[in-house]
Amino acid sequence: MEAEIADKPSFAHIHVKLDPGDSIIAEADAMASMSSDIEMSTRWNGGFFSAILRRIFGGESLFVNEFTTKTGGTLVITQALPGDMDVFELDGNTMFLQPGAYIACEPTVNLGMGWAGFASLIGGEGLFRLKVSGHGKVWFGAYGGIFSRDIDDEYVIDTGHLVGYDPSISIKVGMSGGIFSSFFSGEGLVTRVKGPGKVYMQSRSISGLAAWTNARM
Amino acid sequence: MQHEIQARPAATVVKVDLDQGESLTCEVGAMIAMSSGMTVETTSRQKGGKGGLMKGLKRMFSGENFFLNHFTAQQPNQTIYLGPTLMGDVIYHPLDNATLIVQGASWLASDPGIEVDASWQGFGKALFSGENMFWVKCSGTGDMFLNSFGAIYEVMVDGSYTVDTGHIVAFEDTLQFKIGKAGKSLIGSFLGGEGLVCKFEGQGKLYCQSHNPPSFGKLLGPQLRPR
Amino acid sequence: MSTADQMQSDVQFEITQRPDFGLLSVQLADGQQIFAEPASMASMTPNAHMKAGMKGGFKKTLGRMLGGESLIINTFTAMQGAAEVTFAPGTPGDVLHYHLDQNTLLLQRGSFLAYTDGVELTGKWQGAKGFFSGEGLVLLKASGSGDLFFNSYGAILEVDVTDDFIVDTSYIVAFEDTLDYRVTVLEGMKVSSKIKSFFFGGEGLVCKFSGQGKIWIQTRAVNPYLSWIYPFRPTKNNN
Repeated sequence: MEAEIADKPSFAHIHVKLDPGDSIIAEADAMASMSSDIEMSTRWNGGFFSAILRRIFGGESLFVNEFTTKTGGTLVITQALPGDMDVFELDGNTMFLQPGAYIACEPTVNLGMGWAGFASLIGGEGLFRLKVSGHGKVWFGAYGGIFSRDIDDEYVIDTGHLVGYDPSISIKVGMSGGIFSSFFSGEGLVTRVKGPGKVYMQSRSISGLAAWTNARM
Repeated sequence: MQHEIQARPAATVVKVDLDQGESLTCEVGAMIAMSSGMTVETTSRQKGGKGGLMKGLKRMFSGENFFLNHFTAQQPNQTIYLGPTLMGDVIYHPLDNATLIVQGASWLASDPGIEVDASWQGFGKALFSGENMFWVKCSGTGDMFLNSFGAIYEVMVDGSYTVDTGHIVAFEDTLQFKIGKAGKSLIGSFLGGEGLVCKFEGQGKLYCQSHNPPSFGKLLGPQLRPR
Repeated sequence: MSTADQMQSDVQFEITQRPDFGLLSVQLADGQQIFAEPASMASMTPNAHMKAGMKGGFKKTLGRMLGGESLIINTFTAMQGAAEVTFAPGTPGDVLHYHLDQNTLLLQRGSFLAYTDGVELTGKWQGAKGFFSGEGLVLLKASGSGDLFFNSYGAILEVDVTDDFIVDTSYIVAFEDTLDYRVTVLEGMKVSSKIKSFFFGGEGLVCKFSGQGKIWIQTRAVNPYLSWIYPFRPTKNNN
């Protein structure tokens, strides 16, 4: 399999070339176009309870598309958001992703749901996070450009900008400044992450765009 | 007419240089900036053609009053910057006594000599995921500029190729096409989230866009204040 | 590469994810400050102390209010060591740096992102000239000496004006005040309030520039985006 992310960081999409027998798992609605040698079938996404949980809380669909080919073919995988995409390769380790950031993975990767804690909900990041583990490549996307920091101690992230992180990172919610400043600054609550570990962020947020749009409607 | 495409692929604009007497027909709202030796005429008529109303343009704008802008250089070395309304790409396509079928929202500008017919019904009554989708048949010879939501990528079809209908920007009319469901079975397609796809067959050029507006709109919409 | 990219700066910074999702990363030295538009902070080290307030006092704040920017300016100060703050505007677009050296830049409202000590930001009321229905041309004036960071909706193109140049007012980001300008309607271009795609108005106004100076224009306009997203809003009857 060959996969190349094109048009980073603005309208990133993946050009995939599958060899005979290869397959790739992708989110529903992720296929933009494909050659006719590609077959698409739908399968139930993991265990029963985790699939239901994902549907109710995580926003991922109950079903995933598996793209396979007997003779070899190409396909273009995309996301609903204008923005960046990146890929990491799991080698028995685990990564957490914001639900909605997941785009595609190799069939050897396990997709599961994890509890992110109430702090995460209050901070606007949601109750659940996607847990990817096993072996193989995972493609994820963002609204905006993806950037990362290797955190030793603590780092502060505005809500809506967190995309993914190592399991060694702990997250809690806090105020961006003093009580007056937190409210009047427009920043409000922020997510405080503690390392050591790597954090992936996006350079825009849907909540930021929504707030900006609402102010002008 | 010379052109230069800048700021690809998301905030793309095209800088067109016109010599004295040259003209360009654009959709309303496309002009960003221009040098002062250009004049503009807002009209609903095709410039330099038979003077008749551009076919089907009423549909283009849902029956409202509608206008096109014809820009003409009155002096040498005039420049105009054009851009589409949404974030996305712009591509140049030279028509050479041929026909290109263009998704309605993807037509940005063309040489006034190209015939633009917005009443084309080649897809019949097929339901599309974007409700207000219509198609424009462009024929003749001259320069054309298309825009997209997302990055534009080209596919030289030789055999057959399948595209989710929301991702078609334009295609040469040498291609045959068929609308259908994506997956192996009807249930599979519906649950899998893929809507309608278009299967192109034959030989010809196909322009696709990497993203589609309704998917993004549906993601952002629920976070906005209700109306 | 624009001229602005090569300018000196008082503060250490980097602009990445250009030109569509520009992110400004600023490295503040101990005690150094930066002043920013509300809600623009994306991430920061915990020792970047944030304070919301009205910089410059009431009169200047009033002027800023007329310019369309909010009253509040956030101050970030590096405490007990160096600090990092990253800034992101709410919309897709570019971020650009300009170093003011006792000169003046005029900015369209909504374009201002951040500035450093030494820069004065005030509103410049256009009077009747700017008083059109729609966008008009209400500007902020940035002068003094220091760093200014402004953003756009879409990408930023820098144009060196030596002759006359016409720009649709919805696309103006900033320009040097060495230029003469006037807002007008372009002859021959009809504006119809019934055109569906311009539900929010503003189309048809242009700004004619003459003289010598730099203009920064953006490659997308806000009103068409608002018209497009409008139907996706939830309706009050939908529960």
